[in-house]
Amino acid sequence: MQQIQKTKKNQSSKWCKTVCRLLLPAIFLMVITGALLSCNKSEESVFLKIGLPEEPRSLNIWLATDGNSRNILSQIYQPLFHRHPQTLEIIPWLAKEDAIFDEKALTYTVKLRKAKWSDGSDFTSEDVLFTKQLFFDFKIPRYYSKWQLIEKVEAPDAHTVVFYLKQPSAIFMSRIMTAPIVSKKEWEQVAKDALATEKPLRSLQDYQVEKPLGTGPFILHEYQKGAYLHMTKNPYFFGQGKTIAGLDLGPYVDNLLFTIYGTSDVAILALKKGDIDYYWWDVQPGYIKDLEENTSIDLHFNKKSALYYLGFNLRRPPFDDKVLRQAVATVVDKQFILNRILQDYGNPMHSIIPSGNHFWHNPDVRRYGDGLDQEQRIKAAWQMLADAGYSWKVPPVNADGTVAKPSDILLPSGEAMAKFVILTPPADYDPKRAFTGTMIQEWLRQLGLPAFARPMSFNSLLETVKGKHDFDAFVLGYGKLDLDPDYLAAFFSSENDNPRDWNMSGYRNPDFDTLAQAQRLMVDVAKRKQMIWTMQEMILEDVPYYPLYNPHIIEATVNRRFTGWVEKVDGIGSIWSLCMVKPVK
Amino acid sequence: MTKPGYILVKLVEVAVIFFIILTALFFLFRLSPGDPMSKMVDPMLTPEDMAHLIEQMGLDRPLWEQYLIYVKNFLTGSFGFSFHYGEPVSHIIVDKLKWTILLFTTSTVLAAFAGIFLGKIAAWHKGSHLDNVMSISALVCYTLFIPWFALLLLWILGFKLGLFPLGGVLSPQLWVGNASLLVRILDVLHHLMLPLMTLFIINLGSYLLLMRSSMLSVLREDYIITARAKGLSEKVIRNKHAAQNAALPVITSVGLSLAFSINGGALTEQIFTWPGIGKELIFAVSNNDYPLAQACFLLIALVVLVANLIVDLLYAWLDPRITY
Repeated sequence: MQQIQKTKKNQSSKWCKTVCRLLLPAIFLMVITGALLSCNKSEESVFLKIGLPEEPRSLNIWLATDGNSRNILSQIYQPLFHRHPQTLEIIPWLAKEDAIFDEKALTYTVKLRKAKWSDGSDFTSEDVLFTKQLFFDFKIPRYYSKWQLIEKVEAPDAHTVVFYLKQPSAIFMSRIMTAPIVSKKEWEQVAKDALATEKPLRSLQDYQVEKPLGTGPFILHEYQKGAYLHMTKNPYFFGQGKTIAGLDLGPYVDNLLFTIYGTSDVAILALKKGDIDYYWWDVQPGYIKDLEENTSIDLHFNKKSALYYLGFNLRRPPFDDKVLRQAVATVVDKQFILNRILQDYGNPMHSIIPSGNHFWHNPDVRRYGDGLDQEQRIKAAWQMLADAGYSWKVPPVNADGTVAKPSDILLPSGEAMAKFVILTPPADYDPKRAFTGTMIQEWLRQLGLPAFARPMSFNSLLETVKGKHDFDAFVLGYGKLDLDPDYLAAFFSSENDNPRDWNMSGYRNPDFDTLAQAQRLMVDVAKRKQMIWTMQEMILEDVPYYPLYNPHIIEATVNRRFTGWVEKVDGIGSIWSLCMVKPVK
Repeated sequence: MTKPGYILVKLVEVAVIFFIILTALFFLFRLSPGDPMSKMVDPMLTPEDMAHLIEQMGLDRPLWEQYLIYVKNFLTGSFGFSFHYGEPVSHIIVDKLKWTILLFTTSTVLAAFAGIFLGKIAAWHKGSHLDNVMSISALVCYTLFIPWFALLLLWILGFKLGLFPLGGVLSPQLWVGNASLLVRILDVLHHLMLPLMTLFIINLGSYLLLMRSSMLSVLREDYIITARAKGLSEKVIRNKHAAQNAALPVITSVGLSLAFSINGGALTEQIFTWPGIGKELIFAVSNNDYPLAQACFLLIALVVLVANLIVDLLYAWLDPRITY
């Protein structure tokens, strides 16, 4: 027995040695491999390395709806007009000058630049006509509905396009002229083949684009799926060396290298290590302190064209009552949400149009509970409800004016208010909205309202709110709203109060509808602005949605190698930055 | 039952189960809330646009008609096009599967071999320091929280020591240059090391513990005492008489793990930015990309069913006591 144990002891030290013998050389080999590989890398300075949170879904512009694909394709396909990064005005881009509007004939005449496609062929009015026809033939989502305003398009010469409208349109410049123009040469045969199929749009979207042909500052050089996307400078870019929007456009870098980082944790490590120069995604507030201490990293804080809000179902009790909605708005402490949930990286939102969209934003809308502390809010809301006929078994405010724990709120009809649910996305999808819902629940309970916040999977939430209209209240948001305020009409017009349509609250106000229609036809910008301001006032008076907050977009760049990022609403990630970023000398 | 007869019955069983899975998958996805358009929260998209897209995806047709098309497509070997990528589903799966097999199958195989080997040693030295260290380490490995451990390894080995890349499958700057094939292979292996290490360590624990407990029960068997009484060497008793018998339940587990390894692992893939099938599967399900999600699940079901069949047959081959 002793002999067996001795043998076993000898063997166990033998195993240890064997394991060490195998492991140590393997680790050594890997370290050597790493060193060898780093010697093989191309010269670093010519590459602007950008991290993306996910892989672009498609290079087919008619299918690409995700942010990452759009970020890539926006460097390739260009519109006739673009938004000025600072003033947000619509400025000529592929167009040579401002469009000339003929009020009587209802035409816009657009002169085109003498630009070239990335294969060296000429960009002409034929391409614009072809793009328009593509929108119509395939009823391409997002574009067709807007381009339907156009009666016909003519091309008197190779560099002039005349758009004939069916009626005056306020969104012609912002929505129609900012659509990407594609090359007839690239898409003509594809479109022809797709039209011959049973499902033309699907066939067009399923077409595999290998090398998109564009007029933008960069062209796709190589795409290794799952690994990286390499773009190079387009030698035919029309903006090179020109001053547009007060910027002397480049691009000043020859190569863009996009790589994917699956989590923000790893992307931040990559930034700190210098593996990437810019991470094209929001940096969460939790990382900011660490990054601020790093001298080689710059943080960029910009306003976002976003809307996060509390929505009510106006189709059924209890939120069919405007006073109740106003009272709810009064007890919601936006400053608390900003301080505690957004960690001060954002703005409280007062109007339905974000303040970053400064031209259309109305700062003078009705504000609820502004400047009040929580106790004052409860008193104010209680007073509003009591005046409207609501009553409590135990009211939230005692006879001596002190705040108490309320119970059993009764509707003006004398019936007990049934419990209601505030739907939110789950915390793993968006912790800010989930916690906001919970806080609103607590504030409403302080007023005696039987509120219950319930996180729900995002798919189910949208199905319940947008598809079935079977809800009481919800917290949702739009991370990237268009800068044209026409979405107000989409969100609140009576005609859009249908399942799956955008008027999720069921707001119906004939005066609002009239204005919503009228602003669409108003070409005079100053007059339209007045209308949009009035519409914002109406919404904040009737409160179908109560705007809550607008988070900042926070981005990080490494300052050792590149400089010149263009700050704008919605962040530095844009064609402007990529045309302006220069290597540090 | 004869051997070919047994195999035939098993094959029929597999085919029936597979068809049930095929049908269940179709209806489960259609019953889940929303449709491929649900998550498109874009005010630029009008209800008409949405209806047009739904029609183009063929989702406006009656459910039975969609089901017949689905079965017909499957029988003709077509999985259709992904709603989100606009690519043939088979291309996407092949694209992702190679990376999944490289990482997950490799790690399962390596961990299984190492687990069987070390479990055998631990059991043989039961009660010794070596056994204690191995058992406790295996328990720790087994209970490790993958995201935490993966990030820890990334932070120490990738960021602090700079020994390994911070994710991905290759170094873009090296590949856009004129690197030789050998350098490219080495580069992929270099990227593979960290995720492989993570999965290897995590998988190792379970195999080691399984092998150890199986080996311990075998060591108590009479035939081990008989072997000793016969004067056989310790090495022969351990490797031939004990380990071979003890490995049987481990092989079952390894077989199933190998089959499930093609499922990938969304968390590991996410952290190491590994373009495998696990993350894609989660994405396809949460975004109602029916063709892609169905095809992924069908592939997993098929591999698991085939692996089960192989394990069944292998078992009979390894253990002479089992007859058909």
